[in-house]
Amino acid sequence: MFFALTDDQQAFATTVREFLADRFDLDAVRGVVEDPHGDGHPVGLWKGLADQGALAVLVPEEHDGLGLGLLDAQVVARELGRGVAPGPWTATVLAAEALRLAGSPEQQAVWLPGLAAGDTIGTVALRGEAGTWDGRGITVDASGERLSGTASPVDYPSVAGLIVVAATDPSGSPGLFLVESGASGLVIRDQETYDGTARVGAVELADTPAEPLGGGTLSGADAVAALMARGAVLTAADLVGVAREALTRTVDYDRERKQFGVPVGSFQAIKHTMADLHVAVTMAEHAVLFAAHAVDTQDPGVDVAVAVAKAKAADAAWATTGAMIQFFGGIGFTWEHEAHFFYKRARRRAPLFGSADEHRARLAALTID
Amino acid sequence: MASVDLSYTAEEEQFREELRTWLAANIPDEWTQPGFWRALDDDESFRLRRDWEASKTAAGFSGIEWPTEYGGRGGTPGMKAIYDEEMVRARAPQTVNVLGLTFLAPTIMAIGTPEQKAEIIGPMLRNEVIWCQGFSEPGAGSDLAAVATRGVRDGDDYVVNGQKIWTTNAVHGDKIFTIVRTEPGSERHKGLSMMLIDMDQPGVEARPLKQMSGASEFGEVFFTDARVPAKDCLGEIGAGWRTAMLLLSFERGASGVGQYTEFRRQYDEIVAEARRFGRSDDPVARQRLANCLVELECLRYHAMHILTQVEQGRDLGSESSMTKLQWSETFQDLWEAFDDVLGPEASLARPRPDVDLTPFQHQAMWSRSVTIWGGSSQVQRNIVAERVLGLPR
Repeated sequence: MFFALTDDQQAFATTVREFLADRFDLDAVRGVVEDPHGDGHPVGLWKGLADQGALAVLVPEEHDGLGLGLLDAQVVARELGRGVAPGPWTATVLAAEALRLAGSPEQQAVWLPGLAAGDTIGTVALRGEAGTWDGRGITVDASGERLSGTASPVDYPSVAGLIVVAATDPSGSPGLFLVESGASGLVIRDQETYDGTARVGAVELADTPAEPLGGGTLSGADAVAALMARGAVLTAADLVGVAREALTRTVDYDRERKQFGVPVGSFQAIKHTMADLHVAVTMAEHAVLFAAHAVDTQDPGVDVAVAVAKAKAADAAWATTGAMIQFFGGIGFTWEHEAHFFYKRARRRAPLFGSADEHRARLAALTID
Repeated sequence: MASVDLSYTAEEEQFREELRTWLAANIPDEWTQPGFWRALDDDESFRLRRDWEASKTAAGFSGIEWPTEYGGRGGTPGMKAIYDEEMVRARAPQTVNVLGLTFLAPTIMAIGTPEQKAEIIGPMLRNEVIWCQGFSEPGAGSDLAAVATRGVRDGDDYVVNGQKIWTTNAVHGDKIFTIVRTEPGSERHKGLSMMLIDMDQPGVEARPLKQMSGASEFGEVFFTDARVPAKDCLGEIGAGWRTAMLLLSFERGASGVGQYTEFRRQYDEIVAEARRFGRSDDPVARQRLANCLVELECLRYHAMHILTQVEQGRDLGSESSMTKLQWSETFQDLWEAFDDVLGPEASLARPRPDVDLTPFQHQAMWSRSVTIWGGSSQVQRNIVAERVLGLPR
């Protein structure tokens, strides 16, 4: 039995964390937050992540990647969440995963080396307005190799050179397609969001030429589901990182902040909430680790594991970042304080790849019906 | 180092097979029927379990992770986890010597005298001597250092007076490890001693304590000029607090694996009742149940984490407080969900002539106790906040 991060995985986490602390601290994050019309994609940060192999984690070695698993990728996601780092990391990693799982060897050879090196930015467009995250929420139609419809919200579509789009054919079968930036009929409509640590938009397609992903290990609905599961685990990992850092900062502050002549952290009203949050975040960390391993090993319980991880991480992140604002008091509600970076990131990401309620509904379907 | 690996070793799996085979051959079918144990008279239930466990020990399936020199199996932490899991799976009777086996035995192995090691552990393992724990008092619950039971030296003995409460197996116990204030006038953590007192003497009276569930898992123990030889002190005289803290530190290890197995089965049983009473399609009920499942699965992952820490030889420290919070709060919530989901039928002993819900209701009532005993949730939250997070006292 070994249920923990290995020394290598811990070292990887430390490398990413130290890089962010040195080169992209909260002041740098603030620069992105306070420039809402900028592309939200600092080049130095991106190059640094690429240099560390953070984009190549899941890409097979034959395509210049590291050939590691989701277990390793979630290490990066967690640190990016911890640092509330902006940029299209999750989007690009998922686009590469689509190619790895569903693409032909030729398609992989064309795209994966660039995605692994950070030369190509990718993103995924898997559902439309009010759609569910299970393949039934797809609102793009495929007619042969032409796509029409709108997917939203999509992470970082404006900077993406490659968009992996989920679309349904006239018979209702879902599949994955590659759309290149600049394709005819493709319009990216930027959407404002309160989460300044990301940029999102709608991907509008009108008879847009697209290349079907095919010839890989997975296809059709299976490929879409596999991509959704990976998106859920990586989002959960990001949320767990956000939650852990929010809790650590709040504890540090409440150890020192005095009211009534004593540190406010000495009051049980605060202590007990912090203790419960620490347990919740720790459980969410376990759940993400287990889910990533379950995906990597195709564990028979993978569906339950992914749903548990996403539900727990979303709830823990929302609760912890809300408590951060509450327990910093008035200062935590100000624009100049960093609490809102964490809270808004948690709040926006909580429903991505299925909200806690949606994942609980899935668990009910898996264990009650 | 390899990556995450949830498997047990071949040797551990071999142990699982042997244990499974033995359990299959040695648990009568009727024992595994719901309500069987509750229908028995307390004394009869105790006697059956005591004898059964003794035969389990004789077969080599007790003291799994204890060194062989103490009559244990010399197994790994993984084998202990497997043992806990298989015992639940087989619906084996619950142990009658849990406090002795969990707490007293490892403490004696750590700090007992050679005589104590030789005389206490073997008979405990064979269930010849059933041990009770005498910690809580009417005036010393969460505040254990407020212990008032006093012992006064008289020749080679101490003469003990006072009262203990919430004593598991009080009326069936043979001996009791007891925190006694042996230094007259001492306060709080000082002047305490851990005395090993024979309950079979005129100065010791045990009474059952009827709980809100109607059962009597606990009792009260009254000491009236009870005598205990001074040599029957565990640790130094006056060092009882240190002994008690060492003893309580053994409430950890791999038991979470067994707890998960048990609670997860209860989840499935509650789901089956929800289906039976037409409540399983209700979206609110489904969310309620699924959230219990989320917490149960987290308990399982946490158990794997703890087992890993134990196998790596790490000190768990205050992490056991997190384990306690997770399992006890989850268990209690699961049994509140039972009523939330079933509605009025949940409160009826026989909502239909062929449906007996009393075993469920017993669990539901029992679930109120688990966030109190063994350190209440409020005490555990203080420990997590102060010792894990470093918030000021």
